[in-house]
Amino acid sequence: MVLRRKRRTFQRRKVCRFCVDNELQIDYKDGKTLRYFVTERGKIVPRRISGNCAKHQRVLTTAIKRARQIALLPYTTIHTV
Amino acid sequence: MRKYETFFIIDPDLTEEAYNLAGEKLKGIVNGNGGVVLTYVPWGKKKLAYPVKKRTQGLYILMEYCGGAALVAELERNMRLDERVLKFITVKLEDRFDPEKEEVDEAVTPTVFDEDEDVVESETGATDEYEAQAGAELAEE
Repeated sequence: MVLRRKRRTFQRRKVCRFCVDNELQIDYKDGKTLRYFVTERGKIVPRRISGNCAKHQRVLTTAIKRARQIALLPYTTIHTV
Repeated sequence: MRKYETFFIIDPDLTEEAYNLAGEKLKGIVNGNGGVVLTYVPWGKKKLAYPVKKRTQGLYILMEYCGGAALVAELERNMRLDERVLKFITVKLEDRFDPEKEEVDEAVTPTVFDEDEDVVESETGATDEYEAQAGAELAEE
């Protein structure tokens, strides 16, 4: 019981940013917004961290992958010159 | 007819004239293959996330058009051959598109996402800031 309560205090309510803000659209051409959902290494941030809902995470993943194709986002930062 | 958009990068080292010529050529391909160019919006010079054909910058252009699948194949074939085009991506926007309603759609110009930190003129390595933010969010958890 004590343990459980202790864990709860660490939990923070996460909400899907795209569900809250209807104005915010996911577009592969919008590198600025997408950059918020990749790590500094260029990896896609998982749902459990970003708090996105499943629907938007799917759309977002596609958008990030497209943005990588057109060189708006990096595939990785480790090899870049 | 379907509605597509092609987002492509043109070599930034080209002269103004050669740049216009390349754009005209691509538009000509669309029009010459039974398509209609709806919008043609240059997004300006941006820094690339990784070097492409030994270039670190590129001129981004967004073109919306309608046409058939054969048109897309022909356009992409030409872009592959053309050395002025560094990279391209084609996305289908609508499955059914009526070019008669063109006027209505044309009024809605596609949004250009301004990315000051990516525009070459104000290049200060501000991208690191964004990555730091994303990293901080991770660390927080």
